[in-house]
Amino acid sequence: MNLFQIITELEKVDPEIADRLTHRRSALSALGSFGKKAALAAAPIAIGSAFNKAVGQNTLTAVNDVLNYALLLERLEYAFYDQALRAPALAANLTSGSAARGAIETIRTHELAHVNLLTAALGSAAAAAPTFDFGTTAFSNYASFLTFAQAFEDTGVRAYKGQAGNIPRTLNPTVGGTQVNLLTVALQIHSVEARHAAHIRYMRRGAAAGAQTTIMPWIVGAEANMAPAAVYGAGVPAANFPAENNLVQAGITLTTGIGATYTEADVSAAFDEPLDNTTVTNIARSVAKF
Amino acid sequence: MSNITQKGSDEAEFAKPLYTPIKRRSFFMYAGATAGATALLLSGCDDDEGDVSNPTTTGTVNLGSGDVGVLNYAYALEQLEAAFYAQVIANFASGFSADERTALTAIARHEAIHRDFFKTAITGAAASQIIPGLTPNFSAVNFSDRGSVLATAKTFEDLGVAAYNGAGALIQNPAYLGIAGKIVSVEARHAAYIRDLISNGTFADNTTVDSNGLDKAMTVAQVLTAAQPFIRETINGSNVGK
Repeated sequence: MNLFQIITELEKVDPEIADRLTHRRSALSALGSFGKKAALAAAPIAIGSAFNKAVGQNTLTAVNDVLNYALLLERLEYAFYDQALRAPALAANLTSGSAARGAIETIRTHELAHVNLLTAALGSAAAAAPTFDFGTTAFSNYASFLTFAQAFEDTGVRAYKGQAGNIPRTLNPTVGGTQVNLLTVALQIHSVEARHAAHIRYMRRGAAAGAQTTIMPWIVGAEANMAPAAVYGAGVPAANFPAENNLVQAGITLTTGIGATYTEADVSAAFDEPLDNTTVTNIARSVAKF
Repeated sequence: MSNITQKGSDEAEFAKPLYTPIKRRSFFMYAGATAGATALLLSGCDDDEGDVSNPTTTGTVNLGSGDVGVLNYAYALEQLEAAFYAQVIANFASGFSADERTALTAIARHEAIHRDFFKTAITGAAASQIIPGLTPNFSAVNFSDRGSVLATAKTFEDLGVAAYNGAGALIQNPAYLGIAGKIVSVEARHAAYIRDLISNGTFADNTTVDSNGLDKAMTVAQVLTAAQPFIRETINGSNVGK
């Protein structure tokens, strides 16, 4: 992969990409140029993460790679809900007309819309669609299905968050006849996944759904509630992709450092954390074959 | 005072925090003496900035420009949400179950944490440009009525999500974008929960998610138009992100 070729390609759609990459990737050189307000603005909060980022394990750089990664996750989620809605062992819980089935159908509809949107954005660069095998456990009973669903949604939220910095903010491709800002679209998908996650989590409170009676719509600490612990753990490197029980934002310890005292539970829940693509892919492959 | 002078003092404000806390020391280890000297030189401009960069005049709060404008914008919205939920949990409307009270109390704390975080972070990054505490106007909210409380909460949460979604592309500093991303998904979780309390299954219905499966993204102007009735001061966000 030729970095300069990628930059040249990006410059065709985003003339300022070189500046932006300088800003993002090379804080040192940016700081070296005396008058750059942006670089100095970046310094107080960003400096630590900027250096880490340059050597990070978030291996996606080309925008199409980011989009194909998102497409893979959306295809996985769509396949998961589509198979669930057909699974014989779940039929008694996902009965026609029930609130539960309605919610899962709503989520499936969104995942399919995301697949279609990303496919349209990628055009001929879209990767081939794999088939997904979720094994015998995922759809064996309602509680198991919802545990998997929570894992996929919370992972999806972390995955999109982990890519936000890899999407140049002025990429405005035409998708399906409409010009869109790619970063904004990614954020608009990201918050929908978070809404899904919140709802799935509360569905798990029900007796037949696993009776997770104290689970919250948000992530408290790194509590996995029987989902794979890696979903809530640290990524690589942990400095850039901390576990969900992280208490430090922008170098500030939020339990004690912001003028009042807050509990670890509340602080950890108030911020979701990003996850790198390698860790996300490993999580996905730990629960599905594709 | 010319724009150039003001720019200089902006830079000085950003540079200043490089000196103090422990974290900044690692910066110097990497960036070396040149950047350190730069910061020193710029902070020398401090005294002549006067009130020009002070974004506040009586009755009007100017959020400012660039990334600081975006941070002030977020801080303003978090102030509003935090003040709202503080009032909600101070005297719960009848009809909220114990479980709902627990969740609303958690939301109140999340918003207070967001508010206090922004206050601390902006003060550290650009102390002269932080907006003051805003005066909320909740005269349209009936805090003793569950329906009124939830409807207002839904408005604020959906608005917050749409605001962060719309502001992402305005942010130049990737670290700030990262912070916004960490917060917006929590707001979305709140929004989904509140919506489900109003009517189960509406966590992501077609009033907020479109046919492409996308949540709302609103411009600063759209968000401030919606938020203004809840704030006594007049908010000027015309330069946010610019």
